[in-house]
Amino acid sequence: MSATVGNVKFKPGDYKSTLNPVWCPGCGDFGVLNALYRAMSQLEIEPWNTVILSGIGCSSRLPGYVNTYGFNGVHGRALTLATGVKVARPELTVIAVGGDGDGLAIGGNHLIHTARRNLDVTYILMDNEIYGLTKGQVAPTTPTGDKTKSTFWGNPEPAVDPCELAISTGATWVGRGFSGDVKLTTQLIADAISHNGFSFLNVMSPCVTWRGDDQFKALKEILAYVPEDHDRSDRREAMKYTREKGVLTTGVLYEVKGPSFNDRLEEMKQQAMAGRSEPTTREILATFFPKF
Amino acid sequence: MAKKLMKGSEAIGEAAVQAGCRLFFGYPITPQNEIPEYMSLRLPQVGGCFVQAESEVAASNMLYGAAGTGERVMTSSSSPGISLMSEAASYLAGAELPVVIVNIVRAGPGLGGILPSQGDYFQATRGMGHGDFRLLVLAPWSVQEAADLVQDAFDLADFYRNPVMVLGDGLIGQMMEPVEFSSDRQPIKELQPKTWAATGCPGDRPTNIINSLFLDPEELERHNWKLKAKYDAMTRDEIRSASYAADDDYDVLIVAYGTVARVCSTAIDELRERGVRVAMVRPITLFPYPYQAIRDAALRASSVLVVELSTGQMIEDVRLALEGARPIHFHSRVGGMLVTPDEVIEKVECILAGGAAEVSHG
Repeated sequence: MSATVGNVKFKPGDYKSTLNPVWCPGCGDFGVLNALYRAMSQLEIEPWNTVILSGIGCSSRLPGYVNTYGFNGVHGRALTLATGVKVARPELTVIAVGGDGDGLAIGGNHLIHTARRNLDVTYILMDNEIYGLTKGQVAPTTPTGDKTKSTFWGNPEPAVDPCELAISTGATWVGRGFSGDVKLTTQLIADAISHNGFSFLNVMSPCVTWRGDDQFKALKEILAYVPEDHDRSDRREAMKYTREKGVLTTGVLYEVKGPSFNDRLEEMKQQAMAGRSEPTTREILATFFPKF
Repeated sequence: MAKKLMKGSEAIGEAAVQAGCRLFFGYPITPQNEIPEYMSLRLPQVGGCFVQAESEVAASNMLYGAAGTGERVMTSSSSPGISLMSEAASYLAGAELPVVIVNIVRAGPGLGGILPSQGDYFQATRGMGHGDFRLLVLAPWSVQEAADLVQDAFDLADFYRNPVMVLGDGLIGQMMEPVEFSSDRQPIKELQPKTWAATGCPGDRPTNIINSLFLDPEELERHNWKLKAKYDAMTRDEIRSASYAADDDYDVLIVAYGTVARVCSTAIDELRERGVRVAMVRPITLFPYPYQAIRDAALRASSVLVVELSTGQMIEDVRLALEGARPIHFHSRVGGMLVTPDEVIEKVECILAGGAAEVSHG
């Protein structure tokens, strides 16, 4: 990076790495990647102060395509990696990315707890309702009844709504985007990164290979935008835009302000450091024998 | 610094703090809860953070993330939890990240029990997870040695960019002994700046992806041989063992590690008082294993006795060391039962009287 710190303006293209995406032509993830470049440029984010982390999956290849620090980690564990990085380096912008299988099946537990802690990271979930990298198996977001390579007789399971899950488990910013609408997704990513606390963005990102052209068309037909008078700080109002039938609402569904996990850790640290540098024997014993 | 009476778990935690560890990720499991509990108290005092994760899988992957920033990081767990961490251990080794993992071993398999065991020897010394990798494994026999080895573990992890495990058991964790921390401890290895870490600084440094994925088989083969070269360097430079009562001649050589070696030392003292010629060699690094030291020591004896808290795991390394050069006998207790000095004394006497069957070389 030849740029200097201070008065730098980054164009979206400045965030591109030297790797070329290996996604299938027409993959929705291209739209998300472009929106991310634009959002980072809009926020003038310095690549050297940014870490993008992922687990495993088609969309988890994304960190390699961005000129920041990056992790291609363990399947389902993007958010735990992000926790490690953000706790160690609170000053960095930390973005976790991945797909619906990575984030909602094998990594579902981590989504719940990262949201609950209100860790100050952004999580962009690229939702194609299928396992793409492993070639077309059912995912937690696959609609009931759909035939996939692992549901020959149709999917017997109901799907999860990722936004409902995020709101109910404590995320303080929740949005839904569509990779076909790069302008909207850019704005949502920029909003999500600017939010202090856990921001969860579910981007519908069609898989042309394993869901066919129909997924893109079907999504376009049902997409709507959240009304301007929507009270995004009202959890019940926000929940109206989850588990919708025949319509899929995009935009910022939920946003509340409050201390993040990092704020709380910092406060605790300040309190602890203001005291003695070493615990007393009584304090140590009290940790082993609470009634001591 | 003056000596201080400390519980093993507390000494392990304090040693980590003094070695510069500022981040700890853990999940409750008996019998090691005192380590995370101590860290939750202690780390904020030195500007660090403790996080109780939602599982050992989460804790070890948080460790993976934090290690990527170049900070000194640690986790601790006990056997079933360590199995859950084996996922991250493999990725950490593949991605070449330095971390310290403390395993306060309990008896298994499965949920087993919560009492001391050495049943995780194979798991610790044969890589811990999938793929072709090794952990550097250190086994203390006292609280002081646990503290010293934890500090060394951080230097070794940084130097080799590899996970290092400190393998103890409930005895090490719960025992209280005097501990002394050096106030001017220097790193035991010459350490390089962590230019690969996500430190968040501008400059000419190239950006970096921390990764264990190599889809090109030729590249992965090169990576595997690069890792192997590190394990070879560990084998060349890091082997540690100690001998006990070996200055005088002896007929029986005991091989034992960790707290079992401590029990054996009591038995040796008593046997020596009765004029029985017995000595011990104690591996401190379990990987790399002190094959040569054990072979050299064994050749001075007429027979060898391996004592461990498993049905026979370390004994395989002793066999490799001896290659049939001396008869090997075996004594063990398992399931959380402990070896007593009296049992060891009886076994040694039985061997010398010709009444003990040697272990068959299968």
